[in-house]
Amino acid sequence: MKAIPTHKATAVNARGYRNAMPNERRLDQLREEAGQKSVVTGRGVDVASGPIPRKSGYYGQPVVKPPVWTWEIPIYFFVGGLGGMSAVIALAAALSQHVDLAQTAMWVAAIAAILSPLLLILDLGRPRLFINMLRVFKPQSAMSMGAWILTGFGACVVLGLIAIELHVHQVFGGALDQLMRIVADVLMFGSAFFGMFLATYTGVLIGATAIPAWFLHRTLLPIHFGTAGLGSAAALLELLGHRIVALNFIGFYAVAIETALLIWLSMDKHGAADRAIHQHSSGWLIRIGEILSGPLAFILRFFALVPLAAISFLLGALVSRFGWIAAGKVSGSDPESVFAAERY
Amino acid sequence: MIGEGSHSTNQRRHNYVQENVEVGFFTDPTVCIGCKACEVACKEWNQVPDDGFTWSGNSYDNTGHLGASTWRHVMFVEQDRRKGNQIVGSHSLGNGDGDPSAGASAKAEDPFRWVFLSDVCKHCEEAGCLEACPTGSIVRTEVGSVLVQNDVCNGCGYCVVSCPFGVIDRRPSPLPDAGGAFKCTFCYDRQKSGLVPACAKVCPTESIVFGRLDDLRAQAAKRVQQLQEAGYQDAQLYDPTETSVRGIHAFFLILGEPEAYGLPPKPQIPTIYLKSAWTSAFATAIAAVIATLCAFAFL
Amino acid sequence: MAEAHPVGFRWAMKAKERGATIIHVDPRFSRTSALADIWVPLRAGTDIAFLGGLIRHLIENDLFFREYVVPYTNASCILSDEYRDPEDNGDGYFSGWDEEKRAYEDDSWLYKGGDLSRPERDLTLQHPQCVFQKLKRHFSRYKPEMVEKICGIPPQLFHKVADALVAASGPKKTAAVCYAVGWTQHSKGVQIIRAAAILQLLLGNIGRPGGGILALRGHASIQGSTDIPTLYDILPGYLTMPHKGDETLQQYLDNYTKKTGLWSGYPKYMVSTLKAYYGKRATAENDFGYSWLPKLTGNHSFFEFLYDMLDGKMEGMFLMGQNPAVGAPNSRLQRKALSKLKWLVVRDMVEIESANFWRESPEIDRGELKAEDIETEVFFFPAAGHAEKEGAFTNTQRLLQWREKAVDPPGDCRSEAWFMHQLALRLMAKAKASTDPIDESLRALDWWYPEDELGDPNMEAVLAEINGWYTDPVAGGGDSGRTDGIVFGRDREGNPHHGKQVNGFAELKADGSTASGCWIYSGVLGRDGENKANLRKSKDYLGHGWGFAWPSDRRIIYNRASARPDGSPWSEQKKLVWWDSEKWTGIDVPGFVKGKPPDYEPEVGAEGLDAIPGDAPFILHEDGLGWLYVPKGLKDGPLPTHYEPLESPVSNELYSHETNPAVHWFTRSENRYAPPGDAKFPFVLTTYRLTEHHTAGGMSRFLSHLAELQPEMFAEISPELARDLKISNGDYICIVTLRGAIEARALVSRRIRPLHLDGKTLHQVALPYHYGTAGVVRGDAANDLLTISGEPNVTIMEAKALTCNIMPGRLPRGRAFAEFLNEYAPQSGLTDLHPEQPAKGGEKMHSHAQEGKT
Ligand SMILES: Nc1nc2c(c(=O)[nH]1)N[C@H]1C(S)=C(S)[C@@H](COP(=O)(O)OP(=O)(O)OC[C@H]3O[C@@H](n4cnc5c(=O)[nH]c(N)nc54)[C@H](O)[C@@H]3O)O[C@H]1N2
Ligand SMILES: Nc1nc2c(c(=O)[nH]1)N[C@H]1C(S)=C(S)[C@@H](COP(=O)(O)OP(=O)(O)OC[C@H]3O[C@@H](n4cnc5c(=O)[nH]c(N)nc54)[C@H](O)[C@@H]3O)O[C@H]1N2
Ligand code: SF4
Ligand code: SF4
Ligand code: SF4
Ligand code: SF4
Ligand code: SF4
Ligand SMILES: [Mo]
Repeated sequence: MKAIPTHKATAVNARGYRNAMPNERRLDQLREEAGQKSVVTGRGVDVASGPIPRKSGYYGQPVVKPPVWTWEIPIYFFVGGLGGMSAVIALAAALSQHVDLAQTAMWVAAIAAILSPLLLILDLGRPRLFINMLRVFKPQSAMSMGAWILTGFGACVVLGLIAIELHVHQVFGGALDQLMRIVADVLMFGSAFFGMFLATYTGVLIGATAIPAWFLHRTLLPIHFGTAGLGSAAALLELLGHRIVALNFIGFYAVAIETALLIWLSMDKHGAADRAIHQHSSGWLIRIGEILSGPLAFILRFFALVPLAAISFLLGALVSRFGWIAAGKVSGSDPESVFAAERY
Repeated sequence: MIGEGSHSTNQRRHNYVQENVEVGFFTDPTVCIGCKACEVACKEWNQVPDDGFTWSGNSYDNTGHLGASTWRHVMFVEQDRRKGNQIVGSHSLGNGDGDPSAGASAKAEDPFRWVFLSDVCKHCEEAGCLEACPTGSIVRTEVGSVLVQNDVCNGCGYCVVSCPFGVIDRRPSPLPDAGGAFKCTFCYDRQKSGLVPACAKVCPTESIVFGRLDDLRAQAAKRVQQLQEAGYQDAQLYDPTETSVRGIHAFFLILGEPEAYGLPPKPQIPTIYLKSAWTSAFATAIAAVIATLCAFAFL
Repeated sequence: MAEAHPVGFRWAMKAKERGATIIHVDPRFSRTSALADIWVPLRAGTDIAFLGGLIRHLIENDLFFREYVVPYTNASCILSDEYRDPEDNGDGYFSGWDEEKRAYEDDSWLYKGGDLSRPERDLTLQHPQCVFQKLKRHFSRYKPEMVEKICGIPPQLFHKVADALVAASGPKKTAAVCYAVGWTQHSKGVQIIRAAAILQLLLGNIGRPGGGILALRGHASIQGSTDIPTLYDILPGYLTMPHKGDETLQQYLDNYTKKTGLWSGYPKYMVSTLKAYYGKRATAENDFGYSWLPKLTGNHSFFEFLYDMLDGKMEGMFLMGQNPAVGAPNSRLQRKALSKLKWLVVRDMVEIESANFWRESPEIDRGELKAEDIETEVFFFPAAGHAEKEGAFTNTQRLLQWREKAVDPPGDCRSEAWFMHQLALRLMAKAKASTDPIDESLRALDWWYPEDELGDPNMEAVLAEINGWYTDPVAGGGDSGRTDGIVFGRDREGNPHHGKQVNGFAELKADGSTASGCWIYSGVLGRDGENKANLRKSKDYLGHGWGFAWPSDRRIIYNRASARPDGSPWSEQKKLVWWDSEKWTGIDVPGFVKGKPPDYEPEVGAEGLDAIPGDAPFILHEDGLGWLYVPKGLKDGPLPTHYEPLESPVSNELYSHETNPAVHWFTRSENRYAPPGDAKFPFVLTTYRLTEHHTAGGMSRFLSHLAELQPEMFAEISPELARDLKISNGDYICIVTLRGAIEARALVSRRIRPLHLDGKTLHQVALPYHYGTAGVVRGDAANDLLTISGEPNVTIMEAKALTCNIMPGRLPRGRAFAEFLNEYAPQSGLTDLHPEQPAKGGEKMHSHAQEGKT
């Protein structure tokens, strides 16, 4: 069967811009069938209804480009948010003499600070050039700011943790130990400072793009990401055994805001422009995420099922990050959403 | 508008780079013959790899969209509309040789047109890709074009979502040079040595005109007027000077609405969203800190 | 034109910018239609009816350019009383038909008295036997309503075109007609062009700037390969190939020399050609080697010898830059024929289907052929591409342009010239060792060309020979003598070879003192030693100073017609060549005897150009007139007549004979035609080119940058037909004819429209013919569906109008294919044939034909 046209490059075409005929597999089936049974009476594949498909825009081709980001990015959003806010909790804990908690929170933050760049680098098209991120300092680029925030955060958290550990384990004595304490304090301040932005800037990162589902919710996104980060940090620390009222309060604070955001999101609809958030699998992901970290976590926490509430929140925060990236892909591939968004 | 032989800016050597003159492309679909020579010349000169052999069924366009391995893209728009005073079969004469089963309505005028437009990176006055790039890989050149320095780009993909026209993209493996972001270079290498960009150079009808931006804008305005007088009522310029993009250096004359060409009617540079997003981020961050501090201070 | 000649279309677009109206006549709405002012869809194969309608319109409404037509054309010439027109009894035949020979005896078509040089004329055009009256009568039934019935062009649209044409005619205006294979690939292709010629002559559009009939030719230098032919029946410069019967040079010259007009110089051109072939060995005593030329015994066109191949009568073949397994009609049969050869030499840049048919063809896939049973030994020689060798291209407007070598060919790739040169050297060495008289012609060849290190012959030396020189070698000879008018005066061994260059064909002699490889090219490399094909500075809007246009660097031929009979320009804006009281002068090189005044009247008995009056611009013709009516030279009639394509869904509305009587049907069980109106094949099938691909695909399907632009075989059909057949855009469909079946994706578009003929809806299907089974992208070859047929004058196939059927779904592969084909196109027996198709072998071979490929 050599005469059959072969399309060696369909794999290259993974991103699907070409608007390839939807059902290549069905065609292959027909091809097989033709070979075996000799005659194919059935029809080929419909592109769309009617002999000539009429799709919006230019043959339904995307007007803007959907994001190229893969699974690393939503996980990074989750990890970064969690880690950043952990540092905030660590600082508050330290200030209120919850040394244990502060130490754990710093550990969480430090692990996140190491994971985050790894995830980011993994997603780069050319990981070996990751250091070019620090070639420039560019306030108008959220990605550049993010890179610097993450760098600052990483430096403060890791060094801060070392200082804390040195101090806690009394490695040095006397003045040096005192210095360690001061250094640890300063670095914890730094960690918290960078951490609160690490958890929120990701909302800016995707909010200030050309993707309609994202930029239409640019105010909501940092609130969502930041709050989810805070809630996740509290939840994880609770799961790690720190069942204190303060964390529970933070938990309530986060689920309350997440619940409010869910309501906001379901009211603030922009029709075709952000339908990716309300329809498709991306819409479902976001909704499931929001319910898990909003109402459900609220109810669970209300009934003092703290570990369950914590798990629900963490899951929700993770799922919803995936949801938002998925929404970006759907929205970016949908020409109508771009046209519609320009009316807002 | 077809230039006059060697006087045409598409044929002349120039020193625009040395003289820091802003240059651009004016693309006119009313003279484009859809030959795709621009597409091929671009790939040849820039050694852009093929990106698949998929038949689309969308008129004669099997390219689809601009992307990392398509820096020029000729569109083939089939519309039930009239192009100027063109007569296409007896359809345009109102006596209809359409489907007789359609009855009396077939007797009505039944217009049709086929428009070709060669799309390219717009080289925006305010370029989303350039502003977004965290590595400084994307720069503004002496001639006002937007250039990706491929040896700097680490493939973060942020430019991809920051271009309001969906032009720049990251090249997937297994293509050569995969992982980097690519788009039209405005043939900066050619321009530096006084050559005209490859696509404009080969365009047989000078549908793509290369030249000084100010000249082109004047020429384009004249052309629109001329076409409108000649019966192309829906001829208009696509050059979003009123939006935050503040105009594009590769602008187009279009027939009908921009949507039909996959062009956003009111493109915005995403940096305009920064203020509200950062405000929200600050507020969230502060609120989170206050909530945390309160929690620990009072509970 | 925008599709297949995009760079040339630049000029059409420029004209449009300046206000010209572009009219495109094509069954499909193509890229050209998209840019035209008026698109005229018509049923494929009906152009003569349309053009005939326009001719009638001009004549009946007295809209033709009378001041031009009366003096410059043969409208006024009186015809012989024996002449009968198809109108006379409505059967479609002219006088002189010989049913047994299936050919015309053309004596009755001559002017009254039989003399072409001095026809009797009636300048009032009233004489009932004059060409004008005959023309009027011939087209009298081609009324707009008839045009609608035949072509599907409604009268309203017809009048739009007619009005635009008339508006572009007269002293101040001209219009040009461009055509290519949409007109030639028909069973009456030559007559379609003839119809355009009549139209243009009536409008006064020949020999004038902005006018003319422009053949947009095909392959690079395809014009060159008819000028210096690769065709079997002509010699360089359109000299006739000797036929059996033309035994001596004298007989030959007597047969083909015209008494008057430019062809009166025939002996000079012929003898100079022979001197170029045989050099010193060609002497007056041995008829300049005339006897060494082979003599034609019949039609030796490609299709004729294809059948010989099929029947095992041919052993081997050279394919140099041709891919018949995809590009030639009835390609299933072509591939079968290749498999019957003992040996096959393929020179190409890639391994095309014609080289790998023995292992990859659909026939192998279907089990019709087995690789192990095919005995053909294929020698594949890698060819150098056009940028890897130097030489000249002759383009569409007869312009020679020199091309330098940009890079050396890679590896073992070599140019055509290298191959032919080296082959010639080897064959000549063999011939020298033999005593067989048949080898004498090889032994006699004057193969003198200097060569370079690679063994490539010097191409400028070849051009010098084509231009021509005085044969007497100048002592010393030598290239340094370029300044003395001697160019490449030494042969390969360094011996003096020839004398000074001639400056043009006017210097050629019939006594052996000059040699010229192609008389019409003479002047391209004259005594100044300048290769004019390589000139690159144009001085005027006609492009003088850029390349060299034959003949004599004339850019517009017959340009005497750009002036009024009295020698003054028709108008200021259309002036080109004029009489300035003692000589012809102007912007172009005048195509007329320089000092011949406009009022010159030849004496009785004058010969050569002296016999051409001062107001007769068409100097190639014996009478110097533009021929509305062709009294001699055509095989299928002096006037274009509407015949149906050999396969047609409808019957001829005008004549009882459906098809061109003189056509070659090439009947064979694998080459059958469906009868008119056969319900099994209800749709019109036409084939065409895409801008993205080139011909049989060797130069595009193998290159990813082109292949990705049109990556799969498709068929263009209208939404109406798609609806009827329940086909969606992108579906696979099968297209079936009596010859074969192929599969394609359906490209449903409003660019294809159903036609309404006489209330009947007729669908047309259009197929690009570029796809095959090798290369980066693949698809079925449209030519599997076509018939081999031969237009009577040039043996071109009818690739543009046939009938077919369509089946939704995929084409069965493997052995099931045969069953499928048999179901829709019964393959056994010769039943259901076209009633006018002669049985196999029932037709006479026609000699004297010119074969053309554009
Ligand atoms: N891109 C590209 N350019 C090419 C070539 C190529 O393969 N690709 N090939 C070169 C060669 S070898 C040649 S010969 C030329 C040929 O150049 P063209 O003659 O322009 O080529 P085609 O597309 O075969 O046919 C022209 C048109 O004729 C139309 N047609 C079909 N039937 C009829 C009819 O009965 N009447 C009329 N009026 N029109 C009809 C077809 O729909 C088609 O649009 O192009 C040359 N240039
Ligand atoms: N159905 C249908 N059939 C048609 C036509 C149609 O309109 N419809 N058109 C007909 C026409 S007009 C034509 S011209 C024919 C064309 O048909 P072909 O001549 O059979 O096809 P090409 O693909 O042009 O073949 C040219 C080959 O030469 C090779 N080549 C290129 N340059 C060189 C070189 O320098 N040296 C050598 N040795 N090889 C070289 C190319 O790779 C290519 O394989 O097809 C005809 N067939
Ligand atoms: S069109 Fe897109 S890629 Fe091009 S300069 Fe503008 S923002 Fe950048
Ligand atoms: S992908 Fe490359 S060019 Fe684009 S923003 Fe990132 S570093 Fe800059
Ligand atoms: S300017 Fe150069 S890089 Fe840009 S589209 Fe044209 S040819 Fe391609
Ligand atoms: S080269 Fe020019 S005419 Fe051809 S498709 Fe491109 S823009 Fe159009
Ligand atoms: S391929 Fe060559 S000959 Fe054909 S249109 Fe292009 S430039 Fe002209
Ligand atoms: Mo051709």
